[in-house]
Amino acid sequence: MKRSLIWWVICGAVLASLPIFTSTGTLRIFIFANFLAIFAMSWDILSGYTGYISFGHPFLIGIAGYTTAILTRHLGTPLYISMPFAILLTMVAGTLFFFPALRIRGTYFALVTLAFMEVTYHLLKIVKPAVTGGTRGLTGLPFVVTGAVPNYYLSLFVMLTVGIGLWVLAKSSIGTVLSAIRMDEGAVKSAGLNPTKFKLFAFTVSAMVAGIGGSFYTHYLGSISPRAMFDITFLFTILVAALVGGEHTIVGPILGAYFLTFLLEYLRPYIPGAWRFLLYSVIALVVYNFAPKGIYSIFQGLFDWVGRRMRRGEQYG
Amino acid sequence: MSGIIIQSIVISGFYALIAIGFTMIFSVGRVLNLAYGVYIMLGGYVYYTVVQLAHLPKTVGFLCAILSGVIFAVITYVGLVRRLQNNPIAVEISTLILAVAMQAVMILIFTPAPRSIWPLIPGVAHLFGVSVLKNLLVAMIISWVVLVSLLIFVRKTRVGRAIRAVSMDRKGALVSGIDPNRINLVTWGLSGALGSIAGVFFATYTQLDPAMWVGPLITAVAVVIVGGIGSIMGSLVAAHIIGFLETITTTLITPQLRGVFTLLLIIIILVILPKGLFGREEI
Repeated sequence: MKRSLIWWVICGAVLASLPIFTSTGTLRIFIFANFLAIFAMSWDILSGYTGYISFGHPFLIGIAGYTTAILTRHLGTPLYISMPFAILLTMVAGTLFFFPALRIRGTYFALVTLAFMEVTYHLLKIVKPAVTGGTRGLTGLPFVVTGAVPNYYLSLFVMLTVGIGLWVLAKSSIGTVLSAIRMDEGAVKSAGLNPTKFKLFAFTVSAMVAGIGGSFYTHYLGSISPRAMFDITFLFTILVAALVGGEHTIVGPILGAYFLTFLLEYLRPYIPGAWRFLLYSVIALVVYNFAPKGIYSIFQGLFDWVGRRMRRGEQYG
Repeated sequence: MSGIIIQSIVISGFYALIAIGFTMIFSVGRVLNLAYGVYIMLGGYVYYTVVQLAHLPKTVGFLCAILSGVIFAVITYVGLVRRLQNNPIAVEISTLILAVAMQAVMILIFTPAPRSIWPLIPGVAHLFGVSVLKNLLVAMIISWVVLVSLLIFVRKTRVGRAIRAVSMDRKGALVSGIDPNRINLVTWGLSGALGSIAGVFFATYTQLDPAMWVGPLITAVAVVIVGGIGSIMGSLVAAHIIGFLETITTTLITPQLRGVFTLLLIIIILVILPKGLFGREEI
């Protein structure tokens, strides 16, 4: 635990010193990677841990984004009120909507959440386009901070806070129960624990993180539109980041988000952008089928190997 | 009023065709194939390529569409699903990723721009004083021919009975000398064929675009969920319930509700009646 915390600090320090070395353009890529990491971690604490796959995370992120967007745009609410309210509303609304769904089995849970996402997309276009901006969405939203460097630090701070928080949670006994639900829900029940309570908790935490990510992301972009939010390709990007990085690890989704974002940037000169989703899918399918723990397992293997070499050195040295 | 009824009957037959291929896979393999929409998209695009770009006869286009659906479905099963079939959630995730991959492939080949496709038979027919597109009418008639022959196939032939046996009890079927993997393969191929036939109709009914797989997939999911997961008769009834309710809401309230209605139905049924209206019965 202590050694891992040291790793968090080292990685955080390296990332924090980045603006010294890199250009503004590269920082923008890092900002996107940070947000993607938040979304992927939010997915991981629910779906990666309990095995209840959510296909509706864009729904949660979108609720937060739209809430704060509408508040600031139409009522002129200051950000320090609108953002916490959006996060709270995401938790409440998300829980109200998904709570009944948590009783049904994993495969159908995924379908219900997917249906929620699509329904919201359609409804946004029809119901009160004057408020939601209809198909075109809302633009000209206030920014939390301006400029690439402050935005980078903000996104990094949020990402690391969320990351460490979720990681500590996952290492705690609650995390163990959540993993147990994934393996055998009946066994958790017979151990005298109420699985629904734990699922609800995981869901609320996941919704909170999605709300945090969604509201910060919206005010980083300064605009929001239904097709950018409630879309299968957005869901796909989150899902692939979590799977490629390694689900059920919290750290994996961060690695996955960085890996995917940078892979795309490095390949941009060689292959056109339309190849992105194809490339992502192929990587995701291969990783998911042959190395379910993703990039995380590669890193872990590396650390173990280094650790063994060091211990062996101590023995013989 | 009679307009709504005729429109509903026509659209329901077509929805039933969309849903049956999806149901059969679930029934036999107990997995939800989210790449099912891809067979529909593939059918539409292959038909378009053969008929409108290569100027070959429509029957050739139809056959090529079916062939592409079957081949792709069999590849999906052998290459991806067979290794994962004991883990329905892994199948669900993998097939969703596959569907997005195929969407990317279609964008790369055909560009993201929507393409309109000629109707199978142009013109408008008049039924009981209501004008219906002949194209939709033909789609409904062929849908019913396909559905009835499928029911006969499943009930009367040896392979069909084996499919039913596997869907009822996999182990029992294995004990009686049926190879569930082979039956799964047959079912996936059949499902690909049904999907691509539906795809040709769907494309002539709306238009071709690389995201067109989502709509029919949602319809298929809704039909299967309302009808009780894994039953052909239930799916037929459910397709009509959805077809009627959807036509009523879209004509009486606003056409924009088309997508919303089906989705709300999925949510409500799954949350309130997880077993569907008819429960599980034989396929």
